[in-house]
Amino acid sequence: MIRVGVLALVLAAVWLSGSVYLMNLAVVTALFALPALGLSLLMGYTGQISLGHAALVGLGAYGTAILAQQFGWSPWLTMPVAIAAVMMVAWLIGWLVFRLRGHYLAMATLAFGIIAHVGFVELRDLTGGQDGLSGIPPLAVLGVELITDRAILPVAWIVCVGALVLAENLVRSPAGLAMRTVAESEAVAGSIGIAPDALKRRIMALSGGYAALGGALYAHYLGYISPSPFDVGFSLKLLLMVALGGFAGIWSVLFGVGFVVLTGEALKPFGHYDVVIYGALLVIVMVWCPRGLLAGLELAFQALRRRLRPAAGGAA
Amino acid sequence: MTGERPLLEVRGVAVRFGGLRALDDVGFDVHAGEVLALIGPNGAGKSTLLNVVSGALRADAGEVWLRGERIDGLAAHRINARGLARTFQGAEILRRMTVRENVMAAGAARTGTGVRHGLVGWGPARRALARLERDALEHLEVVGLAHLADTPAAALTAGQQRLLAVARALGTGAELLIFDEPGAGLTTVEKNALAAVIASLRGRGKTVVFVEHDLGLVGQLAERMVVLDHGKVIAVGSPDEVRADRRVIEAYLGNTEIAVARAPARAGTHEAGLLEVEGAAVRYDGLIALDGVTLRVGRREVVALVGANGAGKSTLLKAVAGAVRLAGGRIRFVGEDVAGLAPEERVRLGVGLAPEGRQLFASLTVRDNLAVGRYARVRAAGWRHLVVPAGEQAASLQAAMAEVFGFFPQLRERADQLAGTLSGGEGQMLAIGRALMSRPTLLMLDEPSFGLAPQVAKEILEALPRLTELGISILLVEQNARAALQIAARAYILVNGRIAAEGASAELLADRDIVQTYLGWEGSREEGRGRAAGGPRLAAVK
Repeated sequence: MIRVGVLALVLAAVWLSGSVYLMNLAVVTALFALPALGLSLLMGYTGQISLGHAALVGLGAYGTAILAQQFGWSPWLTMPVAIAAVMMVAWLIGWLVFRLRGHYLAMATLAFGIIAHVGFVELRDLTGGQDGLSGIPPLAVLGVELITDRAILPVAWIVCVGALVLAENLVRSPAGLAMRTVAESEAVAGSIGIAPDALKRRIMALSGGYAALGGALYAHYLGYISPSPFDVGFSLKLLLMVALGGFAGIWSVLFGVGFVVLTGEALKPFGHYDVVIYGALLVIVMVWCPRGLLAGLELAFQALRRRLRPAAGGAA
Repeated sequence: MTGERPLLEVRGVAVRFGGLRALDDVGFDVHAGEVLALIGPNGAGKSTLLNVVSGALRADAGEVWLRGERIDGLAAHRINARGLARTFQGAEILRRMTVRENVMAAGAARTGTGVRHGLVGWGPARRALARLERDALEHLEVVGLAHLADTPAAALTAGQQRLLAVARALGTGAELLIFDEPGAGLTTVEKNALAAVIASLRGRGKTVVFVEHDLGLVGQLAERMVVLDHGKVIAVGSPDEVRADRRVIEAYLGNTEIAVARAPARAGTHEAGLLEVEGAAVRYDGLIALDGVTLRVGRREVVALVGANGAGKSTLLKAVAGAVRLAGGRIRFVGEDVAGLAPEERVRLGVGLAPEGRQLFASLTVRDNLAVGRYARVRAAGWRHLVVPAGEQAASLQAAMAEVFGFFPQLRERADQLAGTLSGGEGQMLAIGRALMSRPTLLMLDEPSFGLAPQVAKEILEALPRLTELGISILLVEQNARAALQIAARAYILVNGRIAAEGASAELLADRDIVQTYLGWEGSREEGRGRAAGGPRLAAVK
């Protein structure tokens, strides 16, 4: 509850500051946090790697945009339809790939990500190819169109915190225990009555729903989408966000997302080479801070204190 | 048909792995409320059988019935839902959870609440969680771990982990509990605690089946036993009946008769031995594998190390080869302490190991497998020899290979065949040959006869003493104890990580009490009962 309060205070401060830049960062953080939360449920809690989550975000974005443009439906209708469809796609992908483990699962999901991206580029009639889709209608609440950062910020964050609370409920429920069991050992899961494959597929679908929700909000917020944000590089970024947060810990995902968004700003001068730096960061975190950057820094800090203390004692 | 039907019925179960018959027409019953032990030597098929019954593996033939319902072919979680829970070798606790969560997870599936309920912060999932928490504490009380409920499971000792696995099985609410080697690697105190818990489960209306190598523990707990050997049930009965059964004793000791002259015993007679192990101790994650083992191998001597499965034989070989680290004691080779030496440096000193299960490179040819065996020596001569061995290196590589081919002519015929296509016997020859390629002075063999037909095993074992003529000493680990004792000059009997007896193998072989010592029947029983009657030949180790 305290965390929600602190978060609300920070967001209120950003909102009141009136700085378009800060509000934009806050909105982007919320939109990235949704797929990152979904990935955390799948990877952190259920132990299944996915390198194709950017594609699910993209499917959510294209899905709602195409439905809104082709049929002229309200975004409030196209979003749930697109999300439900992506959840079904994710379930099917789960059905197909969860017979694989480890590196093979990583490769299969990576391939899915690449296939989907190629689809976004090549299905020009539907997706507009490299040019993308523009003129996507914005969401409207009580007659106010959510176009400006100032207008979308509260909505995006209410959705994000809602998703966060649901995820937290889930990991604390009996189903959450089952997920953590599957993550540690599928053989043990089977021996205590948990059906690992069915559970993995369900979490994959849920995770896909989170990703699609993030993508759909993004599409209606920007009003324009193109294939490039949904490439494998974005999957890698999502992975980094979850890894920085420490894989298991719903709130720490927000930390990871915030960290990546802020470093992203710092890395702007590097242009496309930022992916290299993200990659290096990911390797560093995986090798030295397997429990996340926060936990890693805490350990390093403790080690430093231990090293300094005897020195201080000697001086006295 | 109904009423008196056994709780679990296994009928004609058969499993094949390639050409190997892991289980062959296995059948037995488990009656409600009994404690039944499933025993048998290494490779008998116990784990395979457990996997079939619990749904982890599909049988090629046969049926399994639980409470009159056919369960073979069902997925593991469905079998668990019908009232059968199993544990795993090595406990397999969920290390990233607390002790309580481990047990709670076991009840999660039974709550009937899924992902959708879980997303909501109130309602069925919340109520189910509270119930799981209460139940978990009850189960933890049964095994005596309630005071550790909020400890991370990874912090438990090995004994506590096994108890946690038992509590987790209880947490599924199953009536039939199957434990896979619950006592392996535990101390006597821990085993006693475990035995008390298992015994108490009967009073709670549970039926227990357990696989165990410590026959002391088995004798203490089991009302009935089923003995497997080579995938077949060879005996069923009370512990006393089984213990006296000729076929059971043969299954454990082996019955291969070897026709070969023993090389003479050397160590202890004169000069310092080639290999001297003093008080070696090894622990795996808190489990005691070796507990103060002292052993010597002299030059050009054949020494056998025998003992039941899990006694620590392979661990000792790995400790000498440098694959596991000593927690205590010392290993000296040619008078040099090898503590700080990496495995490849020990190979250069002259230690060779033909590991358990052969570990051949299946996609390389016989010739290349042999060449790999010389890697450490070639590398030591400079990395360029790895690309193209030149000069002396090339010559000695050829010489070593010629020597191996001379020793095992069958390998020469198959030199360009892929190792994966060899028969079991040829594969074993190649494993030994590969170890010989580094020209070791000590050759350690881990279960060379495992999985081989008796005639093939005999052939390979009979060839071994000839190696001493090349100046090689042999430390032989064999499940087939009778055969090993017929080849070796001296032997050590390892029971639960300790040397229980040592001496000249002819005398050990003739001593009937040794059979019981070897089998470890006396293991967990009170001291002083029949134990001292071992006679002078049972040279007790301090």
